[in-house]
Amino acid sequence: MSVDTSNIAKEGGGVFGWLDRRYGLTPLVEFMKHKEVPVGVHSMFWYYLGGATLFFFMMQVCTGSLLLLFYQAGESTSYESIRFITTKVPFGWLVRSMHCWSAHLMIISLVTHMFSTMMLKAYRPPREMTWVTGFILLSLALGFGFSGYLLPWNELAFFATAVGTDSMKAVPGIGDFLLQVLRGGTDVSINTLHRFFGLHVVILPLVMVGLVTAHLLVIQRQGMAPPQGHKTAPKGMRFFPDFALRDLQLWLMCLIVLASLAVFLPYGPHIPGIEWELGKKANPLAPAYPGIKPEWYFLWIYQLLKEFPAHFLGMEGSQAAVLLVGLLMGAWAMMPWLDRRAQRDEASPGFTDIGAATLIFLGFLLFKAWDIGGGGIGDKLPDPVLTARICAFWWLGIASVATALRATVLHQRYFLFTAATALQIALHGLLGMQYLAAGGIALVALVIGLLVLRSRGQAVPEVRS
Amino acid sequence: MPTNDTEPVRTRRSLLDLLLGVGFIGFAASALYPVLRYLKPMASAGPGGPLKLTADEVGKLAKEHSIITRLGTGRVLVFEDAQQNLRALDARCTHEGCTVQYVPGDSVIWCACHNGRYDLDGRVLAGPPPRPLALYGCTRDPDGSVTIQPPKKGES
Repeated sequence: MSVDTSNIAKEGGGVFGWLDRRYGLTPLVEFMKHKEVPVGVHSMFWYYLGGATLFFFMMQVCTGSLLLLFYQAGESTSYESIRFITTKVPFGWLVRSMHCWSAHLMIISLVTHMFSTMMLKAYRPPREMTWVTGFILLSLALGFGFSGYLLPWNELAFFATAVGTDSMKAVPGIGDFLLQVLRGGTDVSINTLHRFFGLHVVILPLVMVGLVTAHLLVIQRQGMAPPQGHKTAPKGMRFFPDFALRDLQLWLMCLIVLASLAVFLPYGPHIPGIEWELGKKANPLAPAYPGIKPEWYFLWIYQLLKEFPAHFLGMEGSQAAVLLVGLLMGAWAMMPWLDRRAQRDEASPGFTDIGAATLIFLGFLLFKAWDIGGGGIGDKLPDPVLTARICAFWWLGIASVATALRATVLHQRYFLFTAATALQIALHGLLGMQYLAAGGIALVALVIGLLVLRSRGQAVPEVRS
Repeated sequence: MPTNDTEPVRTRRSLLDLLLGVGFIGFAASALYPVLRYLKPMASAGPGGPLKLTADEVGKLAKEHSIITRLGTGRVLVFEDAQQNLRALDARCTHEGCTVQYVPGDSVIWCACHNGRYDLDGRVLAGPPPRPLALYGCTRDPDGSVTIQPPKKGES
């Protein structure tokens, strides 16, 4: 489309007029004026989470660029330059702290955004690609976290990277090649740091910006998803200025929260997986120390790696665990195609329940990875049986309260997946069964339950509030 | 030219399309191959020959009962058991590649990452490791120095 420049010699209209005559901005302004956000039967809150994630990403770009001015990647400089930034450079501690906090807050808002999209079935046609691009953005965000973790070149970073990259070998056929490409050798070394540095500051940001643009463009083109059951939104709110101002207000609140956390807890809340004390410099010849854990959003994978025995179904345990994670993530990415009812714009209570069950599944693994209730203090290692029992009490309690709320407040009637997850937790935590054996029994019970539901005709319809 | 309905029509155009497709694939492969070779790290020296521990390392071994040292591209755990015999094992856990440690009190080799346990010959006792640790040769020479021999091929 070319712009009509016949009236370019005209004058007046100020800066806008000057630009408008050259670039034809009026249609764009008209589009903005008429852009609306659907106001549905559910809370508007969920519509702001994507914007909050974008805000934290922009904070990452700003603080990351500032860190780049002092950070020097290298065997004898990485750790030292981070120490210099946090101890000598004026406000260096604040910039690093904001970068770390913003990374965690970005993952939190991203995951919440994804779950809200899932629960509201906003991925249903025609918005499948919004879901898929969003899923890839989540993978990239995890890649950012993983690659950034190594850059301070401290002990924690070294072993987290050794374990994280080692799982690459589970990829059939090209696992060893991928492992070597990622590490720049057979072992984690300073070559790995150089590769991760390149990934973290150039390759991932470029891909991320491209994909964020694509994600926003498809949303602009299609508008936000109206509530389920409505082809168009019952009513709309103008994007400019009504929604944009609310968005801006949220960004301001995010900034206040971020700055407060960064100032008052500059090294994180001291929860394993959410702390960034520099600690000791990485020494490839030092043994791993007890209590070493990856970042909290990888803890469920870390715990699964622990739950698998040395060999499972003819595979090495870690291969089987990585395969399971791959299958679960793949199924999650394919959600818009798996959810047939949502495709027909019908209520799909089964998938709402899958969302709830997924949260319980992940939460239980997270608590176990934190050894909650295991009694590990000082040199004493936590007791795995006791940990499983206490974590089971926690998550069976949380699941009961959540299910009661869903039944009474949201009038939902489908809890099969939640029940299967709770069964696994109860068998494992309360009866002391192996995690995988309990999972197998829960899976069989789930399949029987689904078959019974199918033989009865169809799933119990979800009554929407 | 009369053609059967079930047979695809072969024209000069389809031949050109085929050649163009092959050309594109060839072009992509010729661009991708150098990139992949560039990314793959160059071959390293391998496990290397026998290694004599330095005086510092021997001193540390006597004091702390264990040390971890490099042999070629590998890491080796050298330790002194309760009977004061010297032993050497691959220090890389076979589960996820963390560095293991010698726990003299329990007479086990332990990996802190996922709680894998091995006996002093490197055999798996408990936890997720799928394979034993490779056993290295380790001898104390009459002059007090310590020599590590890499495992023979097939042993590791």
